[in-house]
Amino acid sequence: MQRRHFVITPVAVAAAALIAAAPAMASVTVGQKAPDFSAKDTAGKTVSLADFKGKTVVLEWVNPGCPYVKKHYNGGNMQSTQKDAADKGVVWLAINSTETGHSDYLAPAALQKWMTEQKSPATHTLMDESGKIGQLYAARTTPHMYIINPQGNLVYAGGLDSIASANPADIKTATNYVKQSLGETLAGKPISAATTRPYGCSVKYKT
Amino acid sequence: MRFSLHHRAVLTKVLFFIVLIASYLISTSVKAQNLPQSTSFNTAKSIVTTPQVKAELLAYAPDGVEPGKTVMVGLQITHKPEWHTYWKNSGDSGQPTDLQWTLPAGVTAGEVQWPTPKKIPIGTLANYGYEGTVLLPVPLEVSQMFKPGVLSNDLEVKLKAVWLVCKQECIPEEGEFVIKIPIKGSTALSAPDFAAAKAASPVNVPNLDIGKSTARIVNDASGGKLEFSIHNLPIALRGQSLVLFPETAEVLHNAAVLGKDWTQAWTGAVWTAVMPLSAQRSASPSIMPVVLATDDGKQAYRAQAQVLGTWPQVAPPAQVPPELAAALKANAASQQEPVNAAGQPLSSSDAMSFLPALLLALIGGLILNLMPCVFPVLAIKVMGFTQQAHLSSRTGGETVGGKSSMVSTGVAYTVGVVLSFVALGGLMLALRAGGEALGWGFQLQSPAVVAVLAALFTLIGLNLLGVFEFANVLPSSVATLQAKNPQIDAFLSGVLAVAIASPCTAPFMGASLGFALGLPAWQALSIFAFLGIGMALPYLLASIVPAVARMLPRPGAWMDVFKKIMAFPMFATVAWLVWVLGQQSGVDGAGALLVMLVGMSMLVWGLSLRGRSKAVVTAVSVTFLSGLVWATGSFITQSTPHTAPAAASGWQSWEPGKVDQLLAAGQPVFVDFTAAWCVTCQLNKKTTLNNAQVLADFSAKKVQLLRADWTRRDPAITQALAALGRQGVPVYVLYKPGSAPVVMSEILSSADVRVAIAKL
Repeated sequence: MQRRHFVITPVAVAAAALIAAAPAMASVTVGQKAPDFSAKDTAGKTVSLADFKGKTVVLEWVNPGCPYVKKHYNGGNMQSTQKDAADKGVVWLAINSTETGHSDYLAPAALQKWMTEQKSPATHTLMDESGKIGQLYAARTTPHMYIINPQGNLVYAGGLDSIASANPADIKTATNYVKQSLGETLAGKPISAATTRPYGCSVKYKT
Repeated sequence: MRFSLHHRAVLTKVLFFIVLIASYLISTSVKAQNLPQSTSFNTAKSIVTTPQVKAELLAYAPDGVEPGKTVMVGLQITHKPEWHTYWKNSGDSGQPTDLQWTLPAGVTAGEVQWPTPKKIPIGTLANYGYEGTVLLPVPLEVSQMFKPGVLSNDLEVKLKAVWLVCKQECIPEEGEFVIKIPIKGSTALSAPDFAAAKAASPVNVPNLDIGKSTARIVNDASGGKLEFSIHNLPIALRGQSLVLFPETAEVLHNAAVLGKDWTQAWTGAVWTAVMPLSAQRSASPSIMPVVLATDDGKQAYRAQAQVLGTWPQVAPPAQVPPELAAALKANAASQQEPVNAAGQPLSSSDAMSFLPALLLALIGGLILNLMPCVFPVLAIKVMGFTQQAHLSSRTGGETVGGKSSMVSTGVAYTVGVVLSFVALGGLMLALRAGGEALGWGFQLQSPAVVAVLAALFTLIGLNLLGVFEFANVLPSSVATLQAKNPQIDAFLSGVLAVAIASPCTAPFMGASLGFALGLPAWQALSIFAFLGIGMALPYLLASIVPAVARMLPRPGAWMDVFKKIMAFPMFATVAWLVWVLGQQSGVDGAGALLVMLVGMSMLVWGLSLRGRSKAVVTAVSVTFLSGLVWATGSFITQSTPHTAPAAASGWQSWEPGKVDQLLAAGQPVFVDFTAAWCVTCQLNKKTTLNNAQVLADFSAKKVQLLRADWTRRDPAITQALAALGRQGVPVYVLYKPGSAPVVMSEILSSADVRVAIAKL
């Protein structure tokens, strides 16, 4: 009985690994290898996830047109989270998956201007007009946050914080999941809330 | 200190209010535009209009407002074309409309009776919400407590609503509404709206709570699925294709396309469906309430599916169903630091200061000596003193050399014990700093360590029985060293004593070590050192004060018998370690260990022989032993698939978040944090926790019994222990909804448990 279990388990694991490796077939889930991607940043430079091997990386889905993104940028909550990450040597990639035809779309220069105005210390702001990276990570909302550990595994996926509202007054009382998870993962502890509900506007994907 | 803290809190509150008022004044967002339109009718209305919606608070009280009666109120949202707001589960993005009521005393608002939503796909995402006109009805219960003012003839209902309205873009909006419902007379103008909302709402299937509907978790390579079997649906629905709306968010893949990602079928009267789980599922409910609607949305039914199976492991701590969230919140509000059975807070850094912790460590170390695995070794060591002590008293007075050598061996033993404890503590601190989730007792969570300890205890047992002498087995240079340097021998005895004491977590050690881990390293290590001093103290005393040694019986032939008897507690410890290994590595691992112990016994016996037979037996046993290690060694370290312990005698297995869920349901919970390698735990489990009266008391108070098994490493349990201020097992905790958890003594007496239960 137990013997059989041992035979089945490696087969199942191998099968799962194969399926996870198949491109665009299934989205990544927490605990799995974070799939690599490449995209141009707002300065036109090509940036790959693989460039940051051995570092902790945060992915943030951003769309300046979304009120929930504004909620966290206007009061400086997102920037303080980015600063906190930067102080800990964490790489921060803000990704915009808004399609070019949408009214929220900002061209690279305009997006960079906005990020600069916001005084965002994000490492890079990446353009993903095709939505490929967004689909790869099953990003649903702006903001939608992910943390990848130095071993290249996805360790957190979900909201920036715990109170799903557009009201900036709620930031005070909410738990900042990204700060909490970064603290835990950098201390080598297991992440207490590894997947949470992302909340916000839908990502404006190309259809 | 307290005063200034309080001061600061007040200041923060004042500042918060100023910010709140300021933001209200300068806010450019869509604000409540209260347009209370007093009409000539009996109903006062309140409407908020934005460029996207018209929102109106409606009431339906055909028989006026009377205690014991239900009055219906509701927010009606009329959307501009293409705009929508959201259902209770908004799906992949969006936000459910939130209604906050302000009502007079004696009137309470019920749950929103959400009409059946529409699935709104947006590319690869999907939302659940409403377009056109929707009314979100809420029943108001009016009790005897309701007393309208002397001059008032109305029930005043105030509502603050927050909603998110989306087309391509999303706009968060809010509004404040007031209506006055006449107490006498009829308010029935909105009757058609409430009737329409009722018709558009799902109907509970018969026997909602005791229905047989299930959702079975299928763990597969694609990330998992839920297999729904929904019973008790009306006959008229049979054969029709249905749309499934999960009330619980963050479980299913919302954008799943029928026929491609999910399938459905009718099996007789039962509707079945296989739905993929969300790639980033963050909820692990035990019940999935679902709404099933016909394709045209005209008929909808609500069912509750019992979730079967275990959620895939990558998931974080289980999340609580929304209906329990309120109860949880109330519970959290009253949540305090854990307390001990006497009601005093424990374990936080201010609850125990450094010096008492050192004292507790000392006492804990003393008690370690009485543990069945340590006692034989210590007893035999002390016997050595009696020989010396009686010898010196017989020769009339103490020879200076004899006394000083006794003292020096005592000191050497103490140094051995203390250094070993500090080394062990240092190792644990280093591993924790390196990110390992460990607690006290971590040594025994490794099957390899358990196997080595079993071998060690077997060797000691065989030695006590006289099967071999260490002098004959060890290389002669080592043996001479031992004989010539009794201090080194004593030092090594100390190391050995710590090694064999490690399975026995004594009382007080839990609290003391838990406290130690939160301290700076040097303080933590001093606590470990004091544990060692406590343990070495009896031996040290006996070596320094000859009177103590003289109190022991005179040496004689009985000592040989005593030594041999002491072999049996050693073998008993081996039996227990084999059982622990069986828990960790299965029957194959335990079997392999037993065979290896036999091989090892043969080898040491062979080494004690002389001449030709020694060579032959040694060669045979070495061959036999190495063959065994090669063939079966891996069985010892393999891990058995983690099978959930049988729910025998009412115990359920502990899971992260389960305590909160049970508490939220209003049930008291008792948790037994235990491990197979912890003797105290096993003793308590077999005695107190098996006591008929205790069990009867538990069931009388409907206490839910959970068992957290820490036999193997489990970071979730380590965390839960840390939350209670502990780093090791056993820990016994009684949780009661709305009050602080009570942590009970490691040596658990039936009386203590029954007293604690009686206080529930």
